[in-house]
Amino acid sequence: MMARVWDRLARLGQGWGGLGLWWLLLAVLALYPYIGVTHLTLFLGSQVFVLVILASNWNLIGGMTGYVDFGHAVFFGIGAYVMGILVTKSPLLISPEWGFLQALPVSGAAAAVFALLIGLPTLRLKGPYFSIAMLGTFVAMREIVRVLRPLTGGGVGLNLPPVLNRLGDYYLMLVLMGLVVSVMWWIRRSEFGQSLIAIREDEIGAEMRGINTTLHKILAFMIAAFFTGVVGGFWAWQNTFIDPDVVFIETRTVEMVMMSMLGGLGTVWGPPLGAVVIYVLQTVVWGRLFGIHLLALGILMVLLVLFLPEGILGMSGRGGSTSLGRLLGRIRKRAEP
Amino acid sequence: MDQVLQALVNGLLLGGFYAVMVLGFSIIWGVMGIINLAHGEYLMIGAYLGWGLFRYFGMDPFAALLLILPLMFLFGYVLQYVLINRIVERPHLMSLLITFGISIALANLFKILFTSDPRNVSVAYNGSVELLGITFPIVKSIIFGVALLAMLGLHLFLQRSRMGKSIRAAAQNRTAARIVGVDINRTYAVTAGICIAITAAAGAMLSPTQAIFPFMGPPLTLKAYTITALGGLGRIPGALMGGVVLGVTETMVSRFVPGIGTNLGVAISFVILVLILILRPQGLLGGLRPVDPDAE
Repeated sequence: MMARVWDRLARLGQGWGGLGLWWLLLAVLALYPYIGVTHLTLFLGSQVFVLVILASNWNLIGGMTGYVDFGHAVFFGIGAYVMGILVTKSPLLISPEWGFLQALPVSGAAAAVFALLIGLPTLRLKGPYFSIAMLGTFVAMREIVRVLRPLTGGGVGLNLPPVLNRLGDYYLMLVLMGLVVSVMWWIRRSEFGQSLIAIREDEIGAEMRGINTTLHKILAFMIAAFFTGVVGGFWAWQNTFIDPDVVFIETRTVEMVMMSMLGGLGTVWGPPLGAVVIYVLQTVVWGRLFGIHLLALGILMVLLVLFLPEGILGMSGRGGSTSLGRLLGRIRKRAEP
Repeated sequence: MDQVLQALVNGLLLGGFYAVMVLGFSIIWGVMGIINLAHGEYLMIGAYLGWGLFRYFGMDPFAALLLILPLMFLFGYVLQYVLINRIVERPHLMSLLITFGISIALANLFKILFTSDPRNVSVAYNGSVELLGITFPIVKSIIFGVALLAMLGLHLFLQRSRMGKSIRAAAQNRTAARIVGVDINRTYAVTAGICIAITAAAGAMLSPTQAIFPFMGPPLTLKAYTITALGGLGRIPGALMGGVVLGVTETMVSRFVPGIGTNLGVAISFVILVLILILRPQGLLGGLRPVDPDAE
């Protein structure tokens, strides 16, 4: 019984029904500001949307393509810095309010171009070699930004003009989140997405079947980098201050990995679910204890690998490969009539 | 000329430290096929142990090695037995994620315990000796000597002892080693114990030369990875050569390229790393296993 419900749900998620439910949820969220909310809840809402976007993007390269990116926050940082430099140093922008929207796609594009440049050498590396090369990119980029003082302000950072528009931020991120998750849903169904999964399962086999693996990997990487860069630009704008340490922070990569893993690697709805769960855990359970967040995430990551490597949604299959997965499978089976 | 020679000597001394710091990383990778992303954190723990023993018990960091080595051997043995052995035969992704998780948990545990203020160990002999017009910093020269001793000892252990032979057998072919009666779980645990003990010892030796803070790990992990890629997996001479190449490159660049501080060391290792991975994936010398997994 339960297993059949899971299967039905899984099929619904892949089909148009899943997208329909998603848009329904978006519509409800769009109406949310009209039922009397404060600036704080709008701010928190846009933060959750940002997390969902980041997790979904990471999942595209890490979950679907199987290239675990331990430096994905580098694209976030590049987006943030492009936004910061454009807003503070460029004379081309019309006004602060509109200049922000003008600069946002540029942030994403810069991150995508960087993904192309860095992906050409690193995506040729298989498995763990890619992961650590990206970790290196991330650590190195932080130092490079610190050294390029005339452009980036070095360790002092950049101050952006503070323009407070919580409602605008909320809707902007809502639209972007809707777009990103819909894109992921489409990719998962499309031939492109199937090719990515083929690459994850067996890269040589995929190549033998005539899939241009390099092109697919680079494209997926660039898409993931583009949206991450846009979010980085948005974050810089909302935070009004950037320096190498707040932008290139390991926490962000860790959170992306954790959210995707918890929800289920390679699924469309797993990363958004994981993002919400982690956010709730963070604010409700350990948020009040200062500095515990990352310690808890690290321990949770170890536990997940040991006991639930398929994540919440990935578990819906046949029990899974670990003791906890098998236990849940047995419970489900017993519940069947 | 003097300046070049001086930079060369500094680079060599730094390279000696790099070599001993990378041994654990290289051997764990070579023997178990695990890229240990928590490597820098083991160094950090060693550095904090060195600092704590110095600060509260007045123990010299080099004398403290006698205490740190067995302690961290135990830590590594238990960690391997309880956690890593469970995932060692699963896909690479799992070992990457679990060591990443360990690294984050450890760094933040130390941040909670000791705050993120940088700590220093100032030993009395923190000066330098002049010899033939070249300055030798005393601490770094001692580190170099200890590093050579450690490498020699490890080499003899791996080549001569029964356990060392088991370790090498497990590295070459896990299944065959199991068939001829090698207890893989125990062998791995001993390997991890030795590797983590040496790594922590390197961290303790690092404590008199630079500030210690909880997040010092990731750049060191990256350097370890670069050196391993340079020298080949699980090879002690390779570690020494890779360490010296990186050390000399770093000191030369920071000395002779204007406008670049030593901070860019990480960026330099990264550039070297990408170049090696593209041009010579088997490492400069070749090793226990090729760096390119396709050849496995």
